[in-house]
Amino acid sequence: MTEDAGRPSPVAPQEGRSGSEHPQSGKQLDARPAARPRPRISETPPPAPPAPHLADYAPIIGKSLLDELRFVARPLIGKRVKMVNSTAMGGGVAEMLSRLVPLLDELEVKTSWELMTGGNDFFEVTKSFHNALHGEKLTLTQQARDIFLLNTERNRQRMSFDEEFVVIHDPQPAGLVAGKDSSSAHWVWRCHIDLSHPNPEVWEFLRPMVERYDTAVFSSPAFARSLSIPQALFYPCIDPLSEKNKDLDESYIQAICDNFGIDRSRPIVTQISRFDRLKDPLGVIRAYKMAKKYVDFQLVLAGGGASDDPEGAIVLKEVYNATEEDPDIIVLDLPPWSALEINALQRASTIVVQKSLKEGFGLTVTEALWKGKPTIASAVGGIPTQVIDRQTGMLVHSVEGCAYQIRYLLTHQEFATQLGRNGREHVKENFLMTTNARRWLLLFRILSGLI
Amino acid sequence: MDKTAVQEQKRLGDPLDLRARAPFEFKSAANLMFIDRERPRNIGELLDAFHTCSEESIFQHTFRTLEEHHFIKEGFSNDFAQWTYVELGEVGLGERLASLDVREFTSLEALRSRLATIVEEYGAENPKARDREASKPFYFCSSKKIVLPPQRSAATLGEFIEGLNLVSLHSIHYHFIEARLRRKLESNDFSIWLRRDMGLEREADLLNQIDIYTSTLEGVRRKIISIVRNATQPNQAGSR
Repeated sequence: MTEDAGRPSPVAPQEGRSGSEHPQSGKQLDARPAARPRPRISETPPPAPPAPHLADYAPIIGKSLLDELRFVARPLIGKRVKMVNSTAMGGGVAEMLSRLVPLLDELEVKTSWELMTGGNDFFEVTKSFHNALHGEKLTLTQQARDIFLLNTERNRQRMSFDEEFVVIHDPQPAGLVAGKDSSSAHWVWRCHIDLSHPNPEVWEFLRPMVERYDTAVFSSPAFARSLSIPQALFYPCIDPLSEKNKDLDESYIQAICDNFGIDRSRPIVTQISRFDRLKDPLGVIRAYKMAKKYVDFQLVLAGGGASDDPEGAIVLKEVYNATEEDPDIIVLDLPPWSALEINALQRASTIVVQKSLKEGFGLTVTEALWKGKPTIASAVGGIPTQVIDRQTGMLVHSVEGCAYQIRYLLTHQEFATQLGRNGREHVKENFLMTTNARRWLLLFRILSGLI
Repeated sequence: MDKTAVQEQKRLGDPLDLRARAPFEFKSAANLMFIDRERPRNIGELLDAFHTCSEESIFQHTFRTLEEHHFIKEGFSNDFAQWTYVELGEVGLGERLASLDVREFTSLEALRSRLATIVEEYGAENPKARDREASKPFYFCSSKKIVLPPQRSAATLGEFIEGLNLVSLHSIHYHFIEARLRRKLESNDFSIWLRRDMGLEREADLLNQIDIYTSTLEGVRRKIISIVRNATQPNQAGSR
């Protein structure tokens, strides 16, 4: 799934932003060194550009792979797919669907996208389920079960399932599988969350529903459960044409660095992440201080989460304190619609770091690898799938390890360049939106015996 | 062809226009991964898993993983070796598993048997290692494959080189690495075509000497093209 909300635009990134920019205000920036210019960040989200067409991917993945995608789709032409999730905007699943659905449509596999509806009580229950499936404690009440089942039934009655394939995303609409009785479709449950340590009560409530599907799809073998149905593996993906990942003009990258007071004539080490303890921004600053004794560089910590999360604001304050007003540590609290700025920061970086203590799949790592950046990342969550140690990046397990690898990569440019090159190829082969579309088509063919 | 085909073509015209007895059809394969039940955490459990896992699983973690990691030219051989090195810390076993060359196997059963033998022997030599727990389990996965219809064909050496340049790396993997399992021969589709349909014995042999473990798959593609192109040079003609 994609994490960013941006869409690729044929318009130059600078355009459409002028007039809506303003100096960011707020207490967080008070701790910035006085000499640093105030960054200018868009106050409101820019309009979403249109989704790209299949042909737009040809320069990126090559004509032969695009042809193969069409070959895979050919026996499915005219078949219909229904995708169901619980939100149209915000979140990685909605963003991924906003890209995947038009791609499948363009391949003549007619794909519709419907939303689960319900009142606040339903979404409160599903939110609690979501957290419980991630391992949080929860006592599952009869009332919660009833609310879930009642809303599921209402949605089932509202929807028709006369397509050849029905794909239900995540636990919220999982119960729609009750509609399988009156449908000849192949049913797939796409689970985007980590089910490795679920709350047993909630999982045992959902399991009978899940096992009615023909296939479940997980993002990692480690996230899967032991089930009586086949389980496919689809890695999350990024869209190379999204605002966060598309190629940028050098002048735009320079403008962003100028805006944020970043000196591009000196090495730049960057971590992009929410200001969250699990991303260990303080550990990154400690690694910076250790490495800085040996090599000169700037550290950029950029992300969001401080404005909508009280915990994030506390972490951000701690981060500012930890900088000790070092002018070479640049802390940027960005709004959620900063995809282009983040893209530019990643591209301007000499090295990208992701020193998380806990992680899902870690799509910020995918983004850095795609940009060919030598990447240093913790061996947690889905990161080792992406960062093969010393092949596509450097895996670390401590602040000290992170500091050492920063020193090493900043002084071994050829090796660092090779890591970056391999990392990009790894993403191209395994973690792009086009690969994701190919996996869906393959699954549909396997389910319907078109092999 | 009784006479050296390339020599004859040289007399007649451009060797690149030499026509094959039958055209080469460039196909490809697409794979989808499934998560299997086996999740060994130590050598003993890995050995058990080798006996119960599907053939598609052996394929995924040896042949297929080479394709997924085609950009790596050293230090990566198969998923079993990688896990043994990184997660289990058994370097000696990792080395032995990494030394396996999938091209020496024309059946997945033979490859499975060899993997099991390596682990079994290592366990016998290092009894303490048998129960040592890995930092995370090895997740067995399997691969379901769909063969895609021919995307292009080549009736001459020139068209063959052009095709090699244009097809995806999945196609190169399908014809050059996976072919052994399909054909049950220690060769590949390209060599077989060069020998049988173009009369290029030497080039067919040279292709089989390309080391897939010290080249990227893109590098393998370039080496194949270079060998075939050399066959069209005057001093290389008459390679049979």
